[in-house]
Amino acid sequence: MDFSAYLTILIGVLPPMCAGILATFAITLIFKTSYTTNFAQGVISAIGAYVAVELTLEKGLPLWGVAIIGVVVAFVVGMLIDVCIFRRGKNVNAIGKQIITMGLISLFVGVIPFIFKVANYESVPLQPFIPITKQLVIGKVSIPYNTFVGLGLTIVLMVLVFVLLQKSKWGLSVRATASNEIVAGMMGINTKVITAISWAIAGALGAVAAIIYIGNATFSSALVMTTTQINAFLAGILGGFATFYGPVVGAAIIYLLDVIIGCICIHVPELSMWKSAVVYGIVMLLVLWKPQGLFGKKMVKKV
Amino acid sequence: MALKSDFLIKGVDFCQMRSKVYVAYRDLVFQDNVLKKANKANKFRAKLDKTEQPLRLLLLTEDETRAEVVDKPVEKYAKKLRMKYRVLREDVKRKKAKALKADENADVTSLDALLETTLAEHEKLVEAKRAELEALFQENWNNRAINEEEIRSKLEALVAGNAQFYDENLVKLDQEFEKKNANYSKITDLRVKFWSKIEGVFADLIAKQNAKTGKKDLEPLPEDVILSARDLSMHFGGLKAVEALDFDVKKGEIFGLIGPNGAGKTTVFNCITQFYKPTRGDLHFVTKEGKTISLTDYKVHDVILKGIARTFQNVEVVKEVTVLENMLIAATRQYSSGLFTQMFHLPLLKKEERIIRAKADQVLQYMGLSLYRDRLAWGLPYGILKRIEIARVLMCNPQLIILDEPAAGLNDTETVELAALIRKIRDDFDCTVLLVEHDMGLVMDVCDHICAISFGRKLAYGTPEEVQASKEVQEAYLGTGGND
Amino acid sequence: MTAKNDYLVKKMLAEQQKEQSAKRALQIFDKFKHHPVLGYVIFAVVLVLLQVLAKEGMISTSFIGAVGSTLIYCIVGLGFCLLLGYSALASLGTAGFIGIGAYITYFCFAEYNVGVGVAFLLVIVVAVAVGVFVGFISLRIEGIYLAIVTLGVAQIIKEVLSALVDTIKISAKDITIFGMGFEIREVKQAVFFLIVAIMLLLMWVTHNLINSPTGRAMLAMKNSTSAAQAFGISLMKYRLLAFVFSTILAALAGLLYMLYIRSEQNSAGTLFTLSTSLNILGAVIIGGTKSIWGTIGGTFIIFGIDKMFLQDIKFFNDNPTLITIVCGLLVILVVMFFPGGLVQLVKGGIFKLKTLFVKWRVRRYGIEE
Repeated sequence: MDFSAYLTILIGVLPPMCAGILATFAITLIFKTSYTTNFAQGVISAIGAYVAVELTLEKGLPLWGVAIIGVVVAFVVGMLIDVCIFRRGKNVNAIGKQIITMGLISLFVGVIPFIFKVANYESVPLQPFIPITKQLVIGKVSIPYNTFVGLGLTIVLMVLVFVLLQKSKWGLSVRATASNEIVAGMMGINTKVITAISWAIAGALGAVAAIIYIGNATFSSALVMTTTQINAFLAGILGGFATFYGPVVGAAIIYLLDVIIGCICIHVPELSMWKSAVVYGIVMLLVLWKPQGLFGKKMVKKV
Repeated sequence: MALKSDFLIKGVDFCQMRSKVYVAYRDLVFQDNVLKKANKANKFRAKLDKTEQPLRLLLLTEDETRAEVVDKPVEKYAKKLRMKYRVLREDVKRKKAKALKADENADVTSLDALLETTLAEHEKLVEAKRAELEALFQENWNNRAINEEEIRSKLEALVAGNAQFYDENLVKLDQEFEKKNANYSKITDLRVKFWSKIEGVFADLIAKQNAKTGKKDLEPLPEDVILSARDLSMHFGGLKAVEALDFDVKKGEIFGLIGPNGAGKTTVFNCITQFYKPTRGDLHFVTKEGKTISLTDYKVHDVILKGIARTFQNVEVVKEVTVLENMLIAATRQYSSGLFTQMFHLPLLKKEERIIRAKADQVLQYMGLSLYRDRLAWGLPYGILKRIEIARVLMCNPQLIILDEPAAGLNDTETVELAALIRKIRDDFDCTVLLVEHDMGLVMDVCDHICAISFGRKLAYGTPEEVQASKEVQEAYLGTGGND
Repeated sequence: MTAKNDYLVKKMLAEQQKEQSAKRALQIFDKFKHHPVLGYVIFAVVLVLLQVLAKEGMISTSFIGAVGSTLIYCIVGLGFCLLLGYSALASLGTAGFIGIGAYITYFCFAEYNVGVGVAFLLVIVVAVAVGVFVGFISLRIEGIYLAIVTLGVAQIIKEVLSALVDTIKISAKDITIFGMGFEIREVKQAVFFLIVAIMLLLMWVTHNLINSPTGRAMLAMKNSTSAAQAFGISLMKYRLLAFVFSTILAALAGLLYMLYIRSEQNSAGTLFTLSTSLNILGAVIIGGTKSIWGTIGGTFIIFGIDKMFLQDIKFFNDNPTLITIVCGLLVILVVMFFPGGLVQLVKGGIFKLKTLFVKWRVRRYGIEE
């Protein structure tokens, strides 16, 4: 068994990994500013993707152009959710907020088939940014150029976001809101705007993730992003929601585990049925060992 | 190893609890049996009365019989007609209002007349009924041919016989219940014996284990000390909230912990109740059995079993249940029923529930909260909520009561009442009180000893007068160079 | 002439007798008026009557079938009552746990043919094991992590189960319930009665748990974790208890589901999906999480109405996602504006009816001066 088989698996995992990292960051952003785990993240990003795909397939527009429209739509949807629902439910407790996001999944999953014709297709013959047939061939390994687009996009976005978080006024406000919303409000930060923009950015990042993801996978339903979302949540627990970088590193670890188990599966084919179970199991054991996450800090609650 | 000995200690506690429950329930059963006996006797009496009833009725005078046979039915009939009349009256009222609204000078006399005629008609009907029943009564009364003397003697004989029956039955009941009580005592004794035997087994195991591991008991604290902190420190990252604090709380005293805002008073409390694990230092406590334990060995939810109960700065009463249920929540650890018993509400749970409810009623009465017993805690005034918190603490058989700012948010009269209450609780429940407070008046009034801290370090310790006189304390509160 | 034969005495005695029996009847009524278990028993009796009527041909088979499958979801909902209403925890793994129950039942009946008793035992044991493992890991830090972890676990279960056997199916002749075999036509009826019996038992057990120290401890924990801990309530113990209880109920529902809807093509990929979990969660929240009747009412609204009445109407048949939209929308509205759920509305309605009755009396009879 030569090295190229392993490399092929790694390259196959790269696009979902990019999507996963973006989704993880989006979820972390909302967790830190709104104190809730946003289960609707996957569906919101799916809406952005649906817009893009609908315009490509029904109107014949190029994906390059409509991807931006999709991202903008997800941006607006994210902002609307915060403004219309979360801002009005200030007295809703943590579990209530969580349940609202679950309700949003049901709502969007039901609404999508009414709006988008693509949702009723059996399968979607989508062309990614660069046709999958165009590949860079190095020895036995071939890499689609499309993968580079996704990878590049992710790296640029993540670098941009982290630079903004550390250096910009917006980043400072977000970090302040995340550490204590009330105090941040008293210091003159408009926490409402910060939260709304965080939701919007999370939606937009999600849409980018979804567009990268569907360029490389079959696109079947509004719940297409569920797997990515689950990975993103687990990444959050694994890395610890205490920091912004922890979950992102966690996401990378989870997808790398996926690669490793995939490589083992080449030798032990019976394992392939349990592949994701093994990955999840390892993550669970890591969490058992470090309940606060790999980069988490022990929180002391004031009594 | 630690886990295993932990399990053994829990076993001993469990056995003791079982024994206690059964003994307490035996007393309840005895109380119940007294009631049951009275009930049974009453029922028997009623049965006997029933046999006497016809004769008694036969002996009624003419007027009394008339009241029963004529007046009562007539009254009922009149009531029925009255309801009918009321419906009509309301109807007429509405019709009248309507007519007057349409035309101010409308003629409504016909309606009034209708009302009056109906009333008269009803009266006539009632009279007719009375006459009918009266006639029936007269006929029967006149036809009655009875020998009053004979009946009277008959009745007397019957009453005497019944009285004898009743007495005989009472004796029988007494015997029956005595037997029941004796049986129940026997069963209870057996149960207690059984559980104390198991307790003995556990105790033996603990002793064996201790002998094996060579684990020694902690050095006992001085006779009159219940809680002692040595070198207690709590750091949050770089922040030293409490640093090398030493203090002793004496048995049965009211101990005050004072200090400016952010001095680390509440942190000390949280360390004692194990909400925080201290970074360094010892916290030793003497339990009810006189054993010295190290509090840091226990989990936060096990501290209550050792007799330490606390209140909270921002009142943490469960708002969506009643005040009584709040008391029951405080007593959660006093239930020994397991999950299965609770799932099917087996007798043991019912027994325990009765015991603890009775206790909760007592505590509520003691705190003057009986009025609010079945009210939801939601929306009760702040002063009442504070009282509920203290009542909740009393539910836990506390050795040491920890009050976190009990006077915060109370007005002056309430604070004075509170001071009296704290002293009364200390005396009545024979416990020690440890309190953090901002209200200097209360602290100086009620405390036996005071420890003043600032920035996590001890400033002064002593009686209220000594602490008041201390220069460091004045500086901490007023700042250096302040006016006298 | 004896005393009893006298006309006047007879009349007086009769009158007294009448008064006494009226008083006794009132006493008995008062005793049962607020007895909670009576309601559950009446509910079960009504369900049994429905099945009997269906057998006589007075109710369509599809209707009673819809009632049966809704009842199965009600059982899952009862678990949520304790988990969500009393412990404030949400789980998204319900569908996965239902799947586990269904698959174990499939193996027990179709492959090994070991009977319903063993199936029950196996389902409960596996549910406890899975529940304790998942719960222990996710509940150590914060309650809201449970939803995340169960979401992932459900996904794994789905993948593994569909890789194990794609479609599962039990033939009617394999089914024996406690040693009794059934004719093909009778199996569905027998299972319906089994469902009603288990439902009644679980309603009673849930009611007991709610009204025992456990239920109160859970409420205390939901309101204030620190106060609960100070009074000796171990967060882990009660959270785990609630979660394991709901897991067991979900797995049992899977077992009953497999027995009831045995001949249809069941596959983990299409049945035990995230949407199922979300709909059950939604149903419970819409009905009112803190009440057993609310849970059951909500389940009948979300699953029952759809299956019992709307499937015959063309509009709803063409747009199957409509019910999902309604569910999602209702969940959001209920959480934001009626935290007590529909039960709260119904209670308010009953109160209003009572006041209306008093008003009607005053209007009819006036006030006696």
